[in-house]
Amino acid sequence: MTRRLDRLTAVVTVMRETPDLEATHEAYLEALRAQADDVSMVYVVDGPWPQARAVLRDLKRRGAPIEVLMFAQPFGEAAALSVGLQAARGDAVVTMPAEPQLEPADLPLLLAGLEHADLVIGRRSHVMEESSGRGRKLDGLVNRLFDTSLRDIRSPVRAFRGDAARELILYGNQNQFVPLLAQAQGFVTIEVDVRTRPRATRSRRRLTYDVSVALDLLTVWFLLRFMRKPFRFFGGFGFTVLAVGVLLTAWLVAARLFFGVPLVDRPALILTTLLVVLGIQVISVGLIGEIVTFSYAKDIKDYRVERLVDAEPAPPPRRPADLPAGVA
Amino acid sequence: MTSRHHDLDERTVELSVIAPLYNEEENVPHLHRAIVEAVRPLGRTVEIILVDDGSRDGTFARCLELPRHDPPLRLIKLRRNAGQTAAMVAGIDHARGEILITMDGDLQNDPGDIPLFLDKIAEGYDLVVGWRHQRQDHWSRVLPSKVANWLIGAVTGVPIKDNGCSLKAYRASMIKRIPLYNEMHRFIPAMASLSAPRIAQIKVRHHPRRFGSSKYGFNRIWKVFMDLLTIRTLISFSRRPSVWLGSVAAVSGGLATLSLVIALVITLEQPPHPTVVVSGLAVLLGSLSIFAVFLAFLLQLVYRTTATRFRPFLTMAAKVMPPADRLAGDTP
Repeated sequence: MTRRLDRLTAVVTVMRETPDLEATHEAYLEALRAQADDVSMVYVVDGPWPQARAVLRDLKRRGAPIEVLMFAQPFGEAAALSVGLQAARGDAVVTMPAEPQLEPADLPLLLAGLEHADLVIGRRSHVMEESSGRGRKLDGLVNRLFDTSLRDIRSPVRAFRGDAARELILYGNQNQFVPLLAQAQGFVTIEVDVRTRPRATRSRRRLTYDVSVALDLLTVWFLLRFMRKPFRFFGGFGFTVLAVGVLLTAWLVAARLFFGVPLVDRPALILTTLLVVLGIQVISVGLIGEIVTFSYAKDIKDYRVERLVDAEPAPPPRRPADLPAGVA
Repeated sequence: MTSRHHDLDERTVELSVIAPLYNEEENVPHLHRAIVEAVRPLGRTVEIILVDDGSRDGTFARCLELPRHDPPLRLIKLRRNAGQTAAMVAGIDHARGEILITMDGDLQNDPGDIPLFLDKIAEGYDLVVGWRHQRQDHWSRVLPSKVANWLIGAVTGVPIKDNGCSLKAYRASMIKRIPLYNEMHRFIPAMASLSAPRIAQIKVRHHPRRFGSSKYGFNRIWKVFMDLLTIRTLISFSRRPSVWLGSVAAVSGGLATLSLVIALVITLEQPPHPTVVVSGLAVLLGSLSIFAVFLAFLLQLVYRTTATRFRPFLTMAAKVMPPADRLAGDTP
């Protein structure tokens, strides 16, 4: 890191009862203090975890520079992350796991990446060493689906430029795909290697978890690609089905008219009509989607202003020519 | 949007000239000079707005080298390439003028035509669209665009000869309220028709590209068709929310009834004859009809919950008659 930051905030989401929370906190705080003068930490406790709360309350009482946000019920990691990022005040914001997974000495590597990116993802060494496995397969699928080349998409180790952290919009349950959402919103995203170790307490992997990740992935794919043009999605399918249905019906009708194949007795007619009906329904739903998008179009900006440079005050010019911009 | 410098905010800007730029480093100085030469003799308060749409070449650096006042220049750099519509909207959102002019950043439009547009606006038109009547392009680009323009006119009911010409003038109060997103820069007159504007078309000069390469490929008629259907639905929705679904319900309901009648006739006339297929048809089409009715109710719900967003279009559409002394020069 060539230059020290003024204000650095760490966001830690506490998803479950976590052993060694206090030791992890001390280690993180020390690493943060080596990077900036004004250091703060935001803890988001996602659920009624009495031990974690007690530890954090105790830290707060002893004057630790922390802000603690607590959910009475678990709302999920995306909600916790989103609330934590909103509350973070720093010029740079890092997110770190609540368990002692990250080697705190690697924090400068992450922050150095912010010199030329809005978001730096920490590639976890213990994940990179795994050559195969479900996680790697999912990352491969995601890269193909979104045309990206990220190697550890779901890493919870990240560094944001402050305004990027506060501007980032996380949909529902999509903390898994932070770099995808950030790239889609125009933030430059890079990856750097950091040393990590696996979590001590493995959470149970269930089939329902995989299914819900797959659904989230589809949702993100749909939203990123079609939020502003839903009819391209619905219409593509709807018109294809409709066209097939209409052509087959026309063929059946032609067979009736010219070859005397009785129409009323052919179950094929039900199939072709079903296709026509399905097509019209999907098209209608897509058009309603467009109406919803249109209704809220003015609330969502398709562009992000990086820099706005105005005319200098007309004569006499009070400042040198390369006046820095007021950023919108 | 607040500006640090108040010299412009204090008096009114009459005209904002907006040009989106994408990888146009060679064109920037020429474009700026051409605009300045066109607007200076007008004797109006003018601002120029250049929007760098996430260029990967030195476009923004070239922009920073331009003289920043006389007329005042506002530069906007977007974080990433957001597309032509979004770049135009960025310019429109940041414009302070009462009249806005948009144009291409590639010098194919001639800023010398700007006074003609202003004359038309002064005549009372809300939107003035340029028409490149002698296009300097290969027929392989001109032909698809002719087909597209015909299609746009036929579907939206706003017959514009050249929707693809970026040189347009708008009353700011009108265009700032029209939502533009996706690839709607191709359909601005159709979208603007939400507020029933008075639209004029004028012939403009068109130059071949001097530098750089064209950013368009072949017109993709399929996408244009889907977008058109969307826009037509939006316009219809903003006036009579459920009409289009109502007609789906009516047509399918009619066909369902017809199938039912055929089934009954067959049953009555040829008692042993099976009528499962034709009855099945009646059920299918009938269910489509019922589905459409429910969707129509859903649309009413959407319309009611977003009604405040559509009210401005009505307000704009309801024109106040100008005072009697100005009626003489009014155009039909």
